[in-house]
Amino acid sequence: MGLQQNIAPISYDALVQRDRVHGRLYTDPNIFSEEMDRIYHKGWVFAGHTSEVPDIGDYQRRQIGQQPVLITRDAKNDVKLLFNRCTHRGNMICARDSGNAATFVCPYHGWTFAVGGELRGMPMPGGMGSSYDKSALGLAEVPRVHIYRGFIFASLAHEGQSFDDYIGKAKQLLDRACDLSPEGEMELSAGWLKHRFHANWKMLPENNTDGYHVKVAHASLLRSTNAFGSLAFDEEKGDSSVNRDWGGGHTELDIAPRYRNTNKPFQWFGGVPEAKLPNYVARMEQTYGRELARKRMIDGPPHAIIFPNLFLAELNISFVAPVSANQVVQYYTPMLLKGAPEINARALRQTEGAMGPGSFLLPDDACLSERNQLGLAAQSPEWLDLRRGMEREYVDPENGLLSSNVSDETTNRAFWKQYLHVMSGAA
Amino acid sequence: MGLPESETREIEAFLFLEARLADESRYDEWEALWTPDALYWVPRRPDLDPEKEVSHIYDNRQRISTRIRQLKSGFRHSQTPASPMRRVLSNIEIAGTGPGSYEAGANFMLMELAIQSTRNMNFWGGRILYSLRREEGQLRMAVKKILLIDADEPIANLAFLI
Repeated sequence: MGLQQNIAPISYDALVQRDRVHGRLYTDPNIFSEEMDRIYHKGWVFAGHTSEVPDIGDYQRRQIGQQPVLITRDAKNDVKLLFNRCTHRGNMICARDSGNAATFVCPYHGWTFAVGGELRGMPMPGGMGSSYDKSALGLAEVPRVHIYRGFIFASLAHEGQSFDDYIGKAKQLLDRACDLSPEGEMELSAGWLKHRFHANWKMLPENNTDGYHVKVAHASLLRSTNAFGSLAFDEEKGDSSVNRDWGGGHTELDIAPRYRNTNKPFQWFGGVPEAKLPNYVARMEQTYGRELARKRMIDGPPHAIIFPNLFLAELNISFVAPVSANQVVQYYTPMLLKGAPEINARALRQTEGAMGPGSFLLPDDACLSERNQLGLAAQSPEWLDLRRGMEREYVDPENGLLSSNVSDETTNRAFWKQYLHVMSGAA
Repeated sequence: MGLPESETREIEAFLFLEARLADESRYDEWEALWTPDALYWVPRRPDLDPEKEVSHIYDNRQRISTRIRQLKSGFRHSQTPASPMRRVLSNIEIAGTGPGSYEAGANFMLMELAIQSTRNMNFWGGRILYSLRREEGQLRMAVKKILLIDADEPIANLAFLI
């Protein structure tokens, strides 16, 4: 009986509806396994950033879905994504998180690979016989890699949706983040904080662009300091921030409308006066011209999810790595901007204040997502309610995006729309 | 340059007091142990440069105050209720670094019950490095640097006083 239940195909159409989703989506290990296959092992996901491997021989270990990979910079200065698995008997070839190496040597039988993946040699190659072809035994490469402004996206499938179709209009969100650097690039060199949540991974992208929870879930922070004012979402107090569906499951809490109302730059940066950031302002104006630089310094960085796993978290970059149906690790690093030391010094301290397991913000999200997971063990009611804002969302004439009040669940519905699209086999 | 036995005992007693106040989430009394130039620091690696890399916690005195205010607000969900905890300090080494100033190191093991959510018993461990100073006759803590063994691994909430 149990077996039959396991092999019955899961009907995602029945579980994901426009105004509600079924609790089983967060708890069922079979669904988790299908998500890894369809979303993480076939679709495009964020894997890392080229600035994490600045020099030839640099490498970083990462996980794509459930599979261990290495981001490396090879001898030709190209960024490679390789599976972290010896082509001989499957040993994990690299155990360190990051570093610089000339070669990876398998500790089991001594097969040796260049950092770019080519097999260099092995002990006693004579035993391999006549079919041995060294060039066919390099570390396997991730089939599809696309680098956009330093952001490395990967798909473990040889064929499928193109990167451009996947990212769609949301490329503008990546641009908005990079364009805050006077050199147009970011540098993720401050290392990652890694935070374990005993919760389903989907709660994180849902929560990260949920403007409704902030006032309640983060009440203790908002009452203790003004340092995180960007998060004071309150439409009943005239906050003109909105949430947006960028298509493709990409979502945003757009705070720029609030900042534009003040017509002052750096409201996203603790309201620091321009005079305190003279070099940054000068370099931005030099690169982009006065008008565009000012617009960027008013609008600030995006607060957005790139489906399924990347979070452009204002002054931070974050991503999720699912572990199981009820466990996920969230990573955070400060979004350091090339050519902007005045911003970066403070961004480091902001990340520590907001994003880590020891910070003022995320521990409460982690705790609440864990309680969500515990609550979902109750099977009644069966559904989670996602109707908030359905009767007042609208297409914003300025950008053509489905948008709504900052407390609405337009972003959550956008996430689930894409989820259903992928899980029902349409993507 | 060994310290007199009485001074060693006094400093050990201070470390045990600090540990107990943290264990029992006695926030005001714990906060009162700090000097004005305090640093409460949980780096991701022992040799990390805090101006270049991100730490789990890098609180100056003002941030320690904010942390305590937040814990006392009644809305810090990740510490409501506060985690029951007990820690053990051992392998204590103390050196004098000048008149009324000391460096100390201690290994620690901490059992923390995540009573707010999973009720997992979290096991934390590592070495703590302290800088201590005598101010108006009282020992005070200027630096507490906690080197977690698993600081660069995925870790659970560190919202309690470590």
